[in-house]
Amino acid sequence: MFTANTTLMLVATFLPLLGALVLIFVPKDQRRVFEIGSLLVMIAHLLLSLPFWFGYDRASDAVQWFQAWTWIPALGVKFAVGMDGISLLLWLLTTFIGPIAIACSFKSIEERHKEYYIWMLVLQTAMLGVFITQDMFLFYLFWEVMLVPMYFLIAIWGGPQKLYAAIKLFLYTLAGSVLMLVALLAIYFLQHKTTGSYDFSLASFQAMAPVIAQQSKTYQHLMALAFFIGFAIKVPMFPFHTWLPDAHVQAPTAGSVILAAILLKMGTYGFVRFLLPIMPTATKDLMPWFIGLSLIGIIYGALVAMIQKDMKKLVAYSSVSHLGLCMLGVFALNPYGIKGGLFQMLNHGISTSGLFLVVGIVYERRHTRMIADFGGLSKSMPVYATIFMIMTMSSIGLPLLNGFIGEGIILMGSFQAFPWAAVVATLGIILGAAYMLWMFQRVMFGPISAVNEKMDDLNLREVLYFAPLVVAAFWIGLYPKPIMDVMDAPVRKLVEQVTPGYYAAEALAVKQAIAAKLGMQGMAAPHHGSATSESPNGEQEHPAGHGTAHGEAPATPTHEHPAQGGGN
Amino acid sequence: MTGFAQGLLSALLRDTHLITPQLFLIIVATLMLWPGDLFFNRNEKHKWAPITQVILAVTAVLVTVTTDGEGFSRMFRMDGLTRGFQMLCVVATAGTVLLSMRLLDSLKQQTVEYYALILFSLSGMLFLCGASDLISVYFSIELMAICIYILVAYLRDRATSVEAGMKYFLLGAFSSGILVYGISLLYGAAGGVTTNLADLNQALALTPTTSNLLVYAGVLMVLVGMAFKVAAVPFHMWAPDAYEGAPTPITAFMATAPKAAALAAFLRVFGAGFHGVSSDWVLPLSYIAGASMILGNVAAVKQVSMKRLLAYSSIAHVGYMLLGVLSGDPRAGAQAVWLYMLIYIVMNTGAFAVVIYLQGKGESERIEDFKGLGRKHPVLAFAMMIFLLSLAGIPPLVGFFGKFYLFKLAIEQGFVTLTVLALLTSAVSAYYYLGVVNQMYFREPEGETAPMGAGPVFIVTLTCALVLVGTAFGPWLLEWAGRIFWV
Repeated sequence: MFTANTTLMLVATFLPLLGALVLIFVPKDQRRVFEIGSLLVMIAHLLLSLPFWFGYDRASDAVQWFQAWTWIPALGVKFAVGMDGISLLLWLLTTFIGPIAIACSFKSIEERHKEYYIWMLVLQTAMLGVFITQDMFLFYLFWEVMLVPMYFLIAIWGGPQKLYAAIKLFLYTLAGSVLMLVALLAIYFLQHKTTGSYDFSLASFQAMAPVIAQQSKTYQHLMALAFFIGFAIKVPMFPFHTWLPDAHVQAPTAGSVILAAILLKMGTYGFVRFLLPIMPTATKDLMPWFIGLSLIGIIYGALVAMIQKDMKKLVAYSSVSHLGLCMLGVFALNPYGIKGGLFQMLNHGISTSGLFLVVGIVYERRHTRMIADFGGLSKSMPVYATIFMIMTMSSIGLPLLNGFIGEGIILMGSFQAFPWAAVVATLGIILGAAYMLWMFQRVMFGPISAVNEKMDDLNLREVLYFAPLVVAAFWIGLYPKPIMDVMDAPVRKLVEQVTPGYYAAEALAVKQAIAAKLGMQGMAAPHHGSATSESPNGEQEHPAGHGTAHGEAPATPTHEHPAQGGGN
Repeated sequence: MTGFAQGLLSALLRDTHLITPQLFLIIVATLMLWPGDLFFNRNEKHKWAPITQVILAVTAVLVTVTTDGEGFSRMFRMDGLTRGFQMLCVVATAGTVLLSMRLLDSLKQQTVEYYALILFSLSGMLFLCGASDLISVYFSIELMAICIYILVAYLRDRATSVEAGMKYFLLGAFSSGILVYGISLLYGAAGGVTTNLADLNQALALTPTTSNLLVYAGVLMVLVGMAFKVAAVPFHMWAPDAYEGAPTPITAFMATAPKAAALAAFLRVFGAGFHGVSSDWVLPLSYIAGASMILGNVAAVKQVSMKRLLAYSSIAHVGYMLLGVLSGDPRAGAQAVWLYMLIYIVMNTGAFAVVIYLQGKGESERIEDFKGLGRKHPVLAFAMMIFLLSLAGIPPLVGFFGKFYLFKLAIEQGFVTLTVLALLTSAVSAYYYLGVVNQMYFREPEGETAPMGAGPVFIVTLTCALVLVGTAFGPWLLEWAGRIFWV
């Protein structure tokens, strides 16, 4: 019925906002209207977003459904929208989580329903907007607008420390993003100096990469750091993470779900979309620091999660650990690492939001989240126990479930780039299994108290909103190929942007490895000749890839090759 | 002798059209005092407010129709910059008068002097916007400031008001002395022939190196004198007390109109007059701007009085606007400052209208009094939230666009450190603005719901609508600003 095109994309993105505008005129005692109305809007925009999954051209690495309208001609700002595979996946994750976040709020939101559902819908549009924009100015607008609804969601419907948590979230993110704004403007003027035109489009910023690489090291590093801090706060990476546990613990369940599933992905998306392609050289210079922070995040998050007494805080710290892993993958800068990082973003969105929902269920029933207050729940709530277990397993990366695939690919990628980092990350994954299973064990097994015996199992509504998450976890775990295909071409393009000539060097290395193997078997002559006739082509592209840490691994055979040839 | 007199007369007649708005204001305000005031008895004084509004409307028309030119021995210059900032002053004054009506009624303090003083002060500002000679800068500042000293102390039976007026007056007089002394040094350094800004610019470039120190001292003193007038750190000490003690509409007035005029003078004196010796003042002025941002925002965090909070935040906003003065491109700087000031006037007037509304209901202006406003008056609270978020510069509200254009210019001109500082401190400002939002929305209300009066409601609605419309058209604002006054 609907075909994927720009108009439909904009409709799906702005439908929640439209719904919010309509809901403003509904009298505030109509609780049901808000609940059902916003749920319907969310389901509608989810349905509208589905054609994009089927209509996406997986062979192309171009930005699809791209369209740009002039907006501020004096500044070169365009209302430019479009998606490539990376944005598409996160955009779909957002539309997928939307209805779930609404459905889980029906019972837990007890007051001020009107404002709540309106803010949720506004937030949804802002988040979707971030993923479709192809203009840096527009991106910054959506990025900031997102903060206000989130602030209100936490500050009105949050826990006892809600004001503190909300303002901390707001200030941290704002401080990070204003630094990013400075860097944006600096690049914008650098671009004006080199090309003579004012242009805020993402493509023109990415085209600036070679020019930025020629600037002084200090300039490059400062720019990269400004971007890094802006995104790292959002992710959050290790020293910038302190807002996250507060925000998660105080936020209402739906707020936590959105925070974990989408908002944190904004940071990782920012790295992939902006920092890597615009400033590859500076990123590589600062890589040891970035990797170090990712690793500290993995281990620190896991260790701190282990000692938490509050289930929600435990899940929050596990997010720090998991996102550290995502970032490790992305910073490996090779196809496996980046794909794994992106993949793990989706997995984290599914499994962690599932875990927050799981915690929300017991909180709704008992108004406590302390692990010590529970025990033996598997006896009174068998369905709940099953879902809890699936989500736990998905989070710790059990084979057949989604987490396994993501973690596996990340480790492959990071091992290629930094073997020692992969070893440390594995340690973090083991710790992750430990704290999750330990929590599961303490909550689900053991003696059950009288209060917990009376707890109701999941009702139909709750099962219904868990169902899509469980299905998604199994689907991705069993058959991840469709998702891999979507991100394949864009990741290829990204790797080329970051390390020009990466694939050529890799292909060459493979060829030479084969040739060398054949040569050693004594059948060298014809094959050997063909290999050397290939190599001048490869050699020309080679130096570009050679200067980097990642070029070196595949490049090694090239050096050995003449020696082997001489040996023959 | 008659020849000289004739020449003078014809010169006066030739140039008078340049200052029609000011002449109109002075004449009308004088007539208001006498014999105008005789027509109204004690209980009818509130009728002066609408009359003043009409006068302001006429002034606005006069400002727009006055043609460009320079006159009075090149003491006054009417051009795009003058007209633009004059309009800002008129708009800000109109807002103040609108705010004054209710409050003065409830205080039973309606007098004609109040409105006449505002008009006299406005005429001083209109002169200041176009002053193209250091001497005319000085006398315009005095005309503007002396009226405001009196207005600050207007509630003469209140100790705080009198104290504020006294403080403002003493420090103001002192800073004027410094300003004049600086002018005299520059006059001497430039050869003792001119105080005209354009001539001075050329003359200073030709001064022998031996008098460098003289020029430096002169420029710095002028800088100090003018920084005092816009309440930039470290010459801001008078501001919080004066703002707190003054009647609230006058606080709103001081935060907007005189600042617009003083910034116009800043732009002209430093952009045109001292352009050639910019190495003397760029560094001190950047320190002043940076210090204003830091101190203004940090000090606002701890305030319990809403008026003091807005006072400190206005210091910070001046710090941002000084970035535009620093710009090496005076025209672009003036546009960005003008736009920022326009947006700031609208937001600030709106915020003060809410404060005045609460005061009118007998509550004081403590931040705590905003408790539960979201429940008591959803519309008022919503408007206040829009003003505060816009003041904090949260996109996509119009305040963000004001900041964006200003900061973009600053980065273009190479003031990166200062811009980073500006952005970080504006993140700090979000903290205290949100603190007020917290009070309004997340605290339970105390006391009964009181019906809203028409006066502040009107201005709150108007300014809120303006902010929202400005938000919708934010992307095009700068272009329009350029088109309206600088073509």
